[in-house]
This record gives sequence, structure tokens and C-alpha cells, in this order.
Amino acid sequence: MADLRVTLCGVELKNPVIPASGTFGFGREFNEIYDISCLGAVATKGLTLEPRAGNPVPRIAEGHGVILNAVGLQNPGVEGFLSNDLAWLKSKTRVIANVAGKTLSDYEAICAKLDGLVDFIELNISCPNVKAGGMAFGVRPENVAEVTRVAKRACEHTPLIVKLSPNVESIAANATAAEEGGADCISLVNTFTGLAVDIERRRPILANNTGGVSGAGIRPIAVRMVYEASRAVTIPVVGMGGVTCAEDAIEFLMAGATAVQVGTQNFTDTLACPKIIEGLNRWCDAHGVKAISELTGTLCPNT
Amino acid sequence: MREFTATVLENVCIAEEIWSLTFALEEEQAVRPGQFCMIGVENFPLKRPIAICKAEGERITVCYRLKGEGTRKLASQYRAGEKLQVLLPLGNGFYAEESEKRIAVVGGGVGIFPLISAIRAYAAQKEIYAYMGFRNKAAICMEYEMQRAKRLVIATDDGSYGFCGNAVQAFKNDFSNARPDVIFACGPLPMLRALKAATAGMGIPVYVSLEERMGCGIGACLVCVCDRTNGKKARICKDGPVFEAGEVVL
Repeated sequence: MADLRVTLCGVELKNPVIPASGTFGFGREFNEIYDISCLGAVATKGLTLEPRAGNPVPRIAEGHGVILNAVGLQNPGVEGFLSNDLAWLKSKTRVIANVAGKTLSDYEAICAKLDGLVDFIELNISCPNVKAGGMAFGVRPENVAEVTRVAKRACEHTPLIVKLSPNVESIAANATAAEEGGADCISLVNTFTGLAVDIERRRPILANNTGGVSGAGIRPIAVRMVYEASRAVTIPVVGMGGVTCAEDAIEFLMAGATAVQVGTQNFTDTLACPKIIEGLNRWCDAHGVKAISELTGTLCPNT
Repeated sequence: MREFTATVLENVCIAEEIWSLTFALEEEQAVRPGQFCMIGVENFPLKRPIAICKAEGERITVCYRLKGEGTRKLASQYRAGEKLQVLLPLGNGFYAEESEKRIAVVGGGVGIFPLISAIRAYAAQKEIYAYMGFRNKAAICMEYEMQRAKRLVIATDDGSYGFCGNAVQAFKNDFSNARPDVIFACGPLPMLRALKAATAGMGIPVYVSLEERMGCGIGACLVCVCDRTNGKKARICKDGPVFEAGEVVL
């Protein structure tokens, strides 16, 4: 039995497996299938100050090894989350509140509402599916630094994770910008902007036209970006992008991640996260690894 | 609801482009009429949401149309004995009140299959009037299951079998026989809209089963939503797929 605990910004997680924002709601539905207290943490559905209705349907499409989504941040608003879901979710595991805004002051205000109440705040500055805000803050390094600085002012008691977009010129530059802005941690990658076409109708499948691409097919790109980002900063990194099994998660850990998030695979297999946790334990035992935290950043590039 | 590793018992073509898949779960599972399942197809990230047609103990039958790559692979690769990842039972299903003695079921296309589960569940206690629409004679299937209804009218768009027209026209034409206390319906949106319009002001509750592209199938991801008439969103997979017709925007 390997020690699967990891420490992220001074907060201990029982293991490094976290369902990714947007694929897991606030955990209640998956908890009908398995006890979610086995998870290292849960990243919530993206929260905004006011409730949002999201995009028209269809909101999802599929490609080979990938899906595209354009949900558009439908959520009950931060107040709804605080009054209906937070206490229950906290009783289960660590809570990463994923937050989004249209303006800098939105980000500051929502962080202020959550500060001290959740284990982490994850700043979504990379949502490709909303008209205003979202990804606008996540592309240029100077904007990443600015939104991080503003959010960090409101995070007095809670570590701030900045979730980076992969749709950028240099992931290392944006990771550095987040660190300079005061981020306690970065997570990456969010989805790649994509387009799926219904050729019979000569129209995009998604009502939003474009959507965020995720799933196993993006994993090599995500692992490369986690590797580059983790080498550019001293703060911890949470890796994600196409994790389907324990072996995939280990790739991210070796590339520099302290923990991993699992998104699309929750749709393929509702038991994905507990299976990955079991698989990590088996892999560590089989490879004589006593503590999973030993794996982080151990990738030896060819010279 | 649970993630099962099921064993395929039979997977056969039963009509033009329509396949019937029967699989055995690891153990018995109670399923309500109108519930659905999510079926995993190897190497496809998304499971396929498919209505449950028959549930007998651990044996489940679903019917599906060959629509895209996933359903084609489901039809061509999953033979008897193969393992299948299945998440079920999902959604709310159809429900008739004790006082509702006469049920009309109105279905079109693959929408007939969840209604077969309702016919099977209620045929013993209720009087069922079934109006089932198909493109043409070659598309007709599961007639023996529909015959459990007290009265069955099969409609074809081209008149090659039964009533010439669609299921809603067949229902309207036969309304004086049916005089239903409640209506269950599933089919293409234009069909459901026509049924809603045809029954407006009659005071008969109409329950429609909706379809949408889905992500998780359990209500977590908010991919398959529809609009409620009160302005709120509903999750088709979790709050539905069956809704009172007046409660949702069709």
C-alpha cells in the first residue's frame, strides 16, 4: 500500500486524483454511484457571481479520442453553491472552487465570497465557450498576471490556483505570469478551441459553433505543456488533459505535476477516478515507489 | 444507477437501420418504464444514451437506429458473449397515477421503444391505446410487443401499412375511442409539438420523453439541457427525460 498523499500549497490531499471542473457538477450525482470521499479533491463546476443559463444545445460533440463541449458556464451562481452544496461537499473531501468572471472586479468579488470557505480557489481564465471574460484574460501574459493579482488580493486565507489556457503563444510565459501575479499554484491545460462539422448540414455540430476539445487525444500536448510550465515556475502544478488511467496520470506527475485532474474520462466511465486511484496504488507497489509524491518532476529528458 | 459490465446475449437487425440489443447485467436491476441507459462503445469517449425497451430481471433490451459511427460499431462489433459497459437505470421515466385508467401512447421513429417499456409495464392494470408511427412498412418492428395494448394503430407515412399518416394524426383520428386520462409520447420534436398543440386545452396530462446529445448521463455536466416554461433549465438526463409537455419549451 503506497502512500498516495500529496501536499498542495500546504494542504494535504489523500491522493492526487481530482475530477476536473465542469465534468462533475458539485459531486452529488457521482456520489450516487460511488462514495466521492475517496477523491483527493473535487474541482467544482465553474461558478460566477450571478446564476448563468449557459449556451443553447447541442453543447457536446465527439471526435476520435476527443470530445468538444460548449456548455458556457451554466451554474447556479456562487450564492447558490455556498448555501446548497459547499457544506455537503466539504464533508466529503477537499473543495476546489472553480470561478469565472466577465471583468476583473467580478473575479475579485467572487474570490472574496469564497475566501476562507473552500480549500482552494481555481481561477478559470481559460474558458473558450463564453462571449466575455473567460479566455480573454488567459491569452496574453500581462492579462494573466493582472487578473491573478486582482484575484489574489481577495484570497487572504485560501490558496489560489490559476488554470491556464493552452490556446497561447508560450505556456511557459503564461505560467510565469501567473506566478508573478501571485498565484500559489497553476493548473493546466484547459480545453483547446475546436470545431466539429456536420457535413450533411454544412453546419457546426455545436450550437456555439466552436467548443473546447478534451479527452485522450490531447494528452501528449497537455503533458508537454505541463512539462514546460513546471520548469518555468517554482509553485506547484496540477496537470490535466486526457487522463484516462493511472499510467496517464503518472505521465503528468513525472512531467512535473503534483496532482492531476480527470475530466472527459468521467463520461466514458463514471468509475474512472476511483479506478485511477487504485491503479496508482498498484503501480507504485509494483515499482517499489513508497510515496507517490516522489514521482513529481522525475522525467529525465534525453540529452 | 450503477456502472455494469454486461454480457451481450443478442444484437440483431429487426427493421431497416434498427437493431435490437439484449444484454445480461451482473445482477437483477429494477427499471421503470421510460428510463434509459448509457452504453459504452470501445474507443469512443462518450457513451450512447439509449432508451430501455424491455427489462426482465437482469436481462435488458434496447433498440437503436444506426445513426453515426458509434451505433454502427455497436451493431457490427458486439456479438453474443462480448462484454459491454453500461450505466443504468437513468432518468425519471413514465408514471401513471392510480386514477389514470386509460393511457394513450403516441410514438414515432425510435421514440416507440421507450413507449414499449410503458406498454409492458401498464398493460396489465390499464387500458392502453397505442399510436405508433413508422416511415414505411419496412421500418415496422416489435409489433408483437405493441399488441399488448388494448388497441393498436400503426401508422406509416407512405400508407404502405395501417393508417396513412403520422402517429399524431392517427391518435387524433381515433380520439373518440381512446379518450385517454393521460398521454405518453416520444418521437421527433415536430411530432411532440403537434401532439401538444392537438391536446391543448383538453386538460389531459401529456408526458413527453425528450432526446439530446449527452455527456455524463447522470446530471452532473449540464450538457443535455432544455428550457422550462418558467425560464429555468432542466437536465434531460436527470430531471427527465420525461416531462409534462406544458412544463418544457418544445
